[in-house]
Amino acid sequence: MLRYVAKRLLLLVPVLIGLSILVFAYVRALPGGPAIALLGERATQESVEAINRELGLDQPIFVQYLRYAGNLIQGDFGSSVLSRRPVVEELLERFPATVELGFAAILFAVLAGIPLGFVAAKRYQGVLDNTSLVASLIGISFPVFFLALIMKYIFAVRLGWLPSIGRLDITRSLEHPTNFYLLDAIIAGDGAAFVDVVAHLLMPAIALGTIPLAIIARITRAATLDVLSEDYVRTARAKGLTTAVIDRRHILKNSLLPVVTVIGLQTGLLLTGAILTETVFAWPGVGTWMLNAINNRDYAVLQGGIVFFAFLVVVVNLLVDISYAFLNPRIRYQ
Amino acid sequence: MSIAEAEASQLAVEQPSGLWSDAWRRVRRNPAAWVGAGLLLFFVICAVFAPVIAPYGPQESVGSLAAVPPGPSAEYPFGLDEQGRDVLSRIIYGARLSLLVGVVSVAIGLSLGMVLGAISGYFGGRVDGVIMRFMDLMLSIPGFLLAIGLVTLLGRGLFQIMFAIGITTVPIFARLLRGSILAQREADYVLAARSVGTPGLRLLTVHILPNSIAPVIVQATLAMATAIIDVAGLSFLGLGPNDPGLPEWGKFLAENASRLQNSAHLVFFPGFAVVFSVLAFNLLGDALREAIDPKLRA
Amino acid sequence: MPLLEVRDLAVRFSTRGKTVYAVNGISFDLDPGDTLGIVGESGCGKSVSSLAMLGILPPAGRVSGGQVTFDGEDLLTLPDERLRHIRGNDIAMVFQDPMTSLNPVLTVGRQLTEALRTHLDMDKKEAAAEAGSLLDRVGIPDARQRLRDYPHQFSGGMRQRVGIAMAISCQPKVLIADEPTTALDVTIQAQILELLRTLVREEGMALILVTHDLGVVAGVCARTHVMYAGRFVETAPTAELFANPKHPYTVGLLKSVPRLDAVRKQRLDPIGGAPRDQTSEPTACAFAPRCAYATSESWEQLPVLRELDGATGAAAHRVACWNPVPERDLVAAGIRRPPAEGQSSAGLGEERPA
Repeated sequence: MLRYVAKRLLLLVPVLIGLSILVFAYVRALPGGPAIALLGERATQESVEAINRELGLDQPIFVQYLRYAGNLIQGDFGSSVLSRRPVVEELLERFPATVELGFAAILFAVLAGIPLGFVAAKRYQGVLDNTSLVASLIGISFPVFFLALIMKYIFAVRLGWLPSIGRLDITRSLEHPTNFYLLDAIIAGDGAAFVDVVAHLLMPAIALGTIPLAIIARITRAATLDVLSEDYVRTARAKGLTTAVIDRRHILKNSLLPVVTVIGLQTGLLLTGAILTETVFAWPGVGTWMLNAINNRDYAVLQGGIVFFAFLVVVVNLLVDISYAFLNPRIRYQ
Repeated sequence: MSIAEAEASQLAVEQPSGLWSDAWRRVRRNPAAWVGAGLLLFFVICAVFAPVIAPYGPQESVGSLAAVPPGPSAEYPFGLDEQGRDVLSRIIYGARLSLLVGVVSVAIGLSLGMVLGAISGYFGGRVDGVIMRFMDLMLSIPGFLLAIGLVTLLGRGLFQIMFAIGITTVPIFARLLRGSILAQREADYVLAARSVGTPGLRLLTVHILPNSIAPVIVQATLAMATAIIDVAGLSFLGLGPNDPGLPEWGKFLAENASRLQNSAHLVFFPGFAVVFSVLAFNLLGDALREAIDPKLRA
Repeated sequence: MPLLEVRDLAVRFSTRGKTVYAVNGISFDLDPGDTLGIVGESGCGKSVSSLAMLGILPPAGRVSGGQVTFDGEDLLTLPDERLRHIRGNDIAMVFQDPMTSLNPVLTVGRQLTEALRTHLDMDKKEAAAEAGSLLDRVGIPDARQRLRDYPHQFSGGMRQRVGIAMAISCQPKVLIADEPTTALDVTIQAQILELLRTLVREEGMALILVTHDLGVVAGVCARTHVMYAGRFVETAPTAELFANPKHPYTVGLLKSVPRLDAVRKQRLDPIGGAPRDQTSEPTACAFAPRCAYATSESWEQLPVLRELDGATGAAAHRVACWNPVPERDLVAAGIRRPPAEGQSSAGLGEERPA
């Protein structure tokens, strides 16, 4: 098992190097430089050169890359050309918001999607099965921002049940040692704040989690149907085990294998969905941060954001591969 | 399949038939395929005959400028927007854009992906290694993020947007085609063709490609659904086509998102137009997938 | 009263509006210690029958008639919960393909202990100890160490031994082995059959051996039923069946396998035609379309099992045929010696190598 993890980690190195080159090349190719962004379109040649020198943009391209890569390894993403604050500092403030949102969304998707898909498969072609099939197809046809807007309209505008923007009521004060607001509220021992954080999290998480929910339910259903007709399930039934044991130990454990892979594949979708969801709910996460950076040509921030997203995708896929190996002995013992 | 089922299916004698006619028969039997095809036909008619069907032009002001534009009425079934334009007419014209984006971007992604996949699968070795590692790299960047990045880089012209969205689908098609070529390459009929001296390129175009095409069609249909969602998403983020007059659904929706409270119709009608057009492709793609690979029917 | 009494068992499958009449009324008795073979080509309903007895038919199948009485209870009408206690505990099953019949994500130990813990209320430790000795009994080296291994770490033959260990774990009264050797290499087949034979003898279990291979029943089963199109067409003590087959289908089966003990040089002679399309209930002899002896009666009336030669009880030889194969044709086929040469053909079955 340890060897497997080590091997997977080693395979990451070229991917990360490739990614950093790609991101670096991309950012350099963007039209208009940071100098223009800082100084405006009518900047003089001299002031542009001065800024470029200050930012190291006058060096040969591979020198720039090596410097950049070296800084990256040390966790130095440079400074935002607008706020002049280190990108890492801003990222540390922002990323817990996105991770909290994404985690809540995937939790919702998994907790609802797996049972739904499983029950649908067990009642193959029953009413519940057919309904959930149609519903999931409609679900994956919704653009996430539209779903978010509909929910906002119903639950915030019309019914007034849930707050429509932000992570916490602005009148409430809460220390933010971790910037994971749920954790912060627990650390502060503030029950009312915790409830408020959950209320703010609920709608964005459900909006963001709905498409993954539909996909997970479909995959669980398909995988379970496959497993149901496997010989070893018949063997288990022939042993006289109870239905609960057969379902849990013999069916679910096998049908979860493809589901785990799919959950990993959802990470990218979830993160890009987060950009849109954050926009709808004015959620102060990495998504809205990057959008600002795009509009302001803030290279360093855009770069930091892209690297962070790509890194997250890579890490989650690593975790998924490891848990897959954990669930599937045929991989583990290779 | 269990023994008992195998026995049962052996007992039920079925007419032998070809792969394609078999798939076609399954598509026709699937109600989802009919609903999807019907919806798609509806949108295609809207797009092609927009000037005939739409009561007004997409830019035509039929009402007055209003901070809170009137909602649906008998005269304007989908209401008016803040510039007094008929929402229904704008949505009908919008179908042109969404379908165009769907088809063109997938065509771009498909052709680039197929070429790369064919080269990779056919030549193998180092060429394959380089291409596939690059595809893996692209796949590790979430597709929509890649589209955002490319649009930022290339600018917000309609073609640039379609190109950007198309690029995000390249790795999927490349992998798909490469995978099926690798599988086919070892198939008996290809070995047989090779043993009688069929030249390489002919082997690829006449024997291998036609047999790899089915999953590509399925994927293309589903990719069109994603393309329509993505262009709407880009528009929503303010990265949509920069021509202010274009009645693109996502852009229309985004421009009015702030009016949600008082003029929800300006958000809901374009939003549902996106949902139904995407649903059309999803239904169709799903039905095709089931038809081609009955094992996935699940 | 016999241990297991099957009467007129019938099973149908319904898929996509079509009904398949898989089993059309089979009856047999099984006493403790009996060894019974059910032989027929794939699709004849032999596997389906055993699944039906245990109530584990696939969703499309259902029992459409008959009784299966075990220990005085009709299994077909028992509540699910009661039947569950009988499955694996009193009646256990070994399946055809050891590659797919074991759960790939659970250790062999886990799969061995779960029946013990369910039916015999053993705790974890007892069950693990018992599982170890079970693996040992079925001839797996280093049994105790291997409990923690997964099925893919075993060879095919070893996996089938695991399957057998699982089946006998609760000391069932009846063991149903459904094509237990079909998926295995020939040399392994013999070992597995030997193991089954030994276990049945030592445990006093009754065995139902379901197979398409006459060679398999020859060495193991005292009595054999030949099944065609969901019905028994011939039933006799195994030796008698080999020596004196009466049904043209049985004769066809015997002629289509090479025999080392053929009375004279034999030409392999496959049965022509295809198995019956079972989408309707049989109303005439199902074998008639493939049969050289068929008469108008065969095409019009359903033959039932009738006793031959006045032998009864365990020795009874029954055949469901309007025109049993005459002795001279058996001689011509090399199954029997000409009458003049003597009657040493009895016992032929036992002498055959398995």
